[in-house]
Amino acid sequence: MKVPIEWLREYLDFTCPLDELAEKLTMAGLEVEEITEAEGEPVFDVKVTPNRGDWLSMIGVAREAAPLVGNKLKMPESDLKATGPDVGSFISIEILDPDLCGRYVGVVVRGVKVGPSPDWMCKRLAAAGMRPINNVVDVTNYVMLELGQPLHAFDLSLLHGSRIIVRRARAGERIVSIDNTQRILEPDMLVIADSDRPVAIAGVMGGADSEINDQTQDILIESANFASTSIRRTSKRLGMVTESSYRFERGVDPSVTAVAACRAAELIRKLGGGEVARGIVDVRPRPVEPWIVRARPERVNAVLGTDLDARTMAAYLNGLDIETSIADGALISKVPTFRQDITREIDLVEEVGRAYGYHNLPMTLPEATQQGKDSPEGLFGNRLRRILISCGAQEVLTHSMVDSKLAELAGRSEQVVRLRNPLSEDLDSMRVTLIPNLLGVIERNQSYGTTDVNVFEIGKVYHRTNGELSEPLRVAGAMSGSMWRSAWCLPKEALSTDFYLCKGLVESVLDALGIEDVNYAEVNDPLLHPTRGAKVMVGSKQIGILGEAAPNVRESMDIRQRPCVYELDFAALMELAPRVLRYRHLPRYPALHRHLAIVVSEKTKYAEILSVIEESGRPVVEDISLLDVYTGEQIGKGLVSRTVSLVFRSAERTLTDEEVNVVLDKVQSALKRQLGASFR
Amino acid sequence: MTEQQNLMELGEAALARVAQARSTAELDALETEYLGRKGELTFQLRKIGSLPPEQRKDFGQAVNDLKAKLSAAIDERRRALAQAEIDAKLVGEALDVTLPGRFYRIGRAHVLVETLEKVKDIFIRLGYEITENPEMESYHYNFEALNYPVDHPAIDEQMSFYIDDDRLLRTHTTAYQHRQMEKRKPPIKVCTLGKCYRVDAVDATHGHTFHQVDCFCVDRGISMADLKGTLHEFAVEMFGPGTNVRFRPDFFPFVEPGAEVAVTCTICSGTGCNVCKGTGWLELAGAGMIHPNVLEGAGIDSEQYTGFAFGFGIERMPMLQHGIDDLRLFMENDLRFLRQL
Repeated sequence: MKVPIEWLREYLDFTCPLDELAEKLTMAGLEVEEITEAEGEPVFDVKVTPNRGDWLSMIGVAREAAPLVGNKLKMPESDLKATGPDVGSFISIEILDPDLCGRYVGVVVRGVKVGPSPDWMCKRLAAAGMRPINNVVDVTNYVMLELGQPLHAFDLSLLHGSRIIVRRARAGERIVSIDNTQRILEPDMLVIADSDRPVAIAGVMGGADSEINDQTQDILIESANFASTSIRRTSKRLGMVTESSYRFERGVDPSVTAVAACRAAELIRKLGGGEVARGIVDVRPRPVEPWIVRARPERVNAVLGTDLDARTMAAYLNGLDIETSIADGALISKVPTFRQDITREIDLVEEVGRAYGYHNLPMTLPEATQQGKDSPEGLFGNRLRRILISCGAQEVLTHSMVDSKLAELAGRSEQVVRLRNPLSEDLDSMRVTLIPNLLGVIERNQSYGTTDVNVFEIGKVYHRTNGELSEPLRVAGAMSGSMWRSAWCLPKEALSTDFYLCKGLVESVLDALGIEDVNYAEVNDPLLHPTRGAKVMVGSKQIGILGEAAPNVRESMDIRQRPCVYELDFAALMELAPRVLRYRHLPRYPALHRHLAIVVSEKTKYAEILSVIEESGRPVVEDISLLDVYTGEQIGKGLVSRTVSLVFRSAERTLTDEEVNVVLDKVQSALKRQLGASFR
Repeated sequence: MTEQQNLMELGEAALARVAQARSTAELDALETEYLGRKGELTFQLRKIGSLPPEQRKDFGQAVNDLKAKLSAAIDERRRALAQAEIDAKLVGEALDVTLPGRFYRIGRAHVLVETLEKVKDIFIRLGYEITENPEMESYHYNFEALNYPVDHPAIDEQMSFYIDDDRLLRTHTTAYQHRQMEKRKPPIKVCTLGKCYRVDAVDATHGHTFHQVDCFCVDRGISMADLKGTLHEFAVEMFGPGTNVRFRPDFFPFVEPGAEVAVTCTICSGTGCNVCKGTGWLELAGAGMIHPNVLEGAGIDSEQYTGFAFGFGIERMPMLQHGIDDLRLFMENDLRFLRQL
């Protein structure tokens, strides 16, 4: 809200410099965001918190500033000269829905000449950010800015039946608001109607049919108190936020209703001539009187951590116009009606704290009651991050809100959680997998000219399963290009990412976590190349997938290289990884080594060879590693040679060559028998 | 010429040939020629029988001396030649040491995750337990349980992404508060960190997604002074010694008294600069004493127990620390950016 200082001075005398006053207001909770200039005068731009509707006026700001500058608030003088006939002969007012309107005041001014407002008023309105229109409308705005009470002026002659009826709208009722827009009303919206039709959307905007125009002579000024929740709903539903609705939403002082009406009538008379009808119509089905709130000084001190005496507290509250006395050691506060935010003890605690100054509060620390600790997920996540980083992977952080097309791409549309009010079409859902996001990182970096990428992310994915929402953690990665920055002397196959580099990274991670019994098998996943994808299994439980990105996925994202990806279930890893790695005795006896070049059908999986060797070589085959893979004319069509290195060792004694040869024979004959292998 | 003189000449010639040998192979040949079973010196020794008896002893001695001398010379020459051969080989292995190495790309942590970890560590040291909480949250926990009145303008300040009528993406990590209160008994000291979402246009300083941390403490006798002390402790740990905190009144429905917390500007140390708009302070957190309605809603007796709560955004801290001027960089994952930090 804009507060022209020249206007503020009408209600409060102060001599301190403006930046000092701004600082004091800010430290009291009424933040002066900026000191600007308008109409050649300084203006405070203040940020009013939603709980303090009473600050949305010059008087409200002056009232807060008064104790800060040590001066008294000056209320505008009321000198209404009502000389006309009784107001009751011009208008009758009825409230049919008192739950939504606690008070409605009507004042009539007749014989007004509508015209431009005087300079001083135009300047003040402009400085406060409002456009001057004509003297009648300007006065309603002026008084609203001055006292915080939204007002509306009707052309009395355009009201049918000389009646005002405050009621809920009827289904299908329409009104053209003064911004010349047709509005369709709903039955829970409050309207101001005459005997035939709605003439205003209560507290939001008046109707075009009854608005002040150049020919207007007789005026009804409306000053009412509407229920804030109703105004808020109506304003939201109609998409109209006005100065009036903004104030009603935040609460308007029910005691200022009549004061504001009379103030406006008098100003209109002064600026536009005419005669004010005698008396006011004041329909008040729900009168509001100041209420009592008690506070225990010891409680105030306990919450604030202070040591103030009750008299000091009472003085602070009185300074804020909250009439406070002390009885039986307790503070008894009579809360003025403009402070609707104060209803219980804690509200008074805050007022005392504000007046004392938060910056004056002492600093202590709570008693130590427990050891701090990380969550299990936090601890394990850090372990995982360290391993991945040590594998050379760069950590990234991608958005959870994504295009639902990505879930389609992953073949998991049925799992996707959609947003009802997305920011844009391409952010209409929550990610179901991290893989497309990480491919997106490759794509984006490719467009910046960075083609060597090895990234990972530990983050949540979001699933809907049978209406239930869940957000499990995943660890995923994507790689493309080379892992080496300078590689002029490396063989070509060591330079570019392929399935086996990606698999090797996953193997390294699982090994570092101490997870055993890991195996891999083909998998069909829409995100993976149909023949270059694998599921990662521990025992018979699938914990993730890895492989080359599916060509169509890659192409749809304009990725030129052939990236590889992996995604593993965080919770499964956390469960499978031993918290503590156990030490195994170092071998006591020497090992013997043998190489074996096994020729099998190219359809035979390496895993089958492994399991035959493990089975037949038990218990002395300690380790098997693949040395070379060869296909070619020498061994024949449809065949492949796998050279493995075997390590033989016994836990009990030193093995002899003869013993190893016996085992090797067993292994070879098992391979021959079970896989039809031959040997080179 | 005597046999002795003869031997001396022979010896000199042999030593000269050894000295001139160009390879170990040549030496091997010389060794055979002179010292072998059929070698020259063996032949000389055999002559001994043909010499007068009085000369035999001296001659024998001379031949043996020469043998030893020659053998030592060959060994020495052989070592020298071997060294020379090694030297020559090593020279042949010369590299251009100024060529680049095989530069392995190291992995790095994401700067924002590192900040989250740093913040987390400080609160763990201050005795807080880190908890994990959902981002897809109910309207109840995000607003109602936090004392947001129905249809109150305070809700406007954090326009939410809705999943359906009851569920939304949490607009603040504070949404965890009631969840944790419901399953714990005082004293409670917990913390949570993570993503939050608000309907907001994206620019250099705003985003629809951001990260927050939230802490709260409930016990007997917790006061606003404890809140101030705690945040001061955090600020000093995070931003360094000499950092101060400034509290001023602010409004959040779930706390009362409510405060906005600023810390000494890390750029100008409080003297005023363009980052802090000349104030010397940077806004850090929203904080306050947990509203009795919130405690009571979770079944905690607000007469016996009081508590404080605070929360703040994470992004600003690494932005200030590293001079990052665009929030979007954090989640754009441009490796040219990430590889710098």
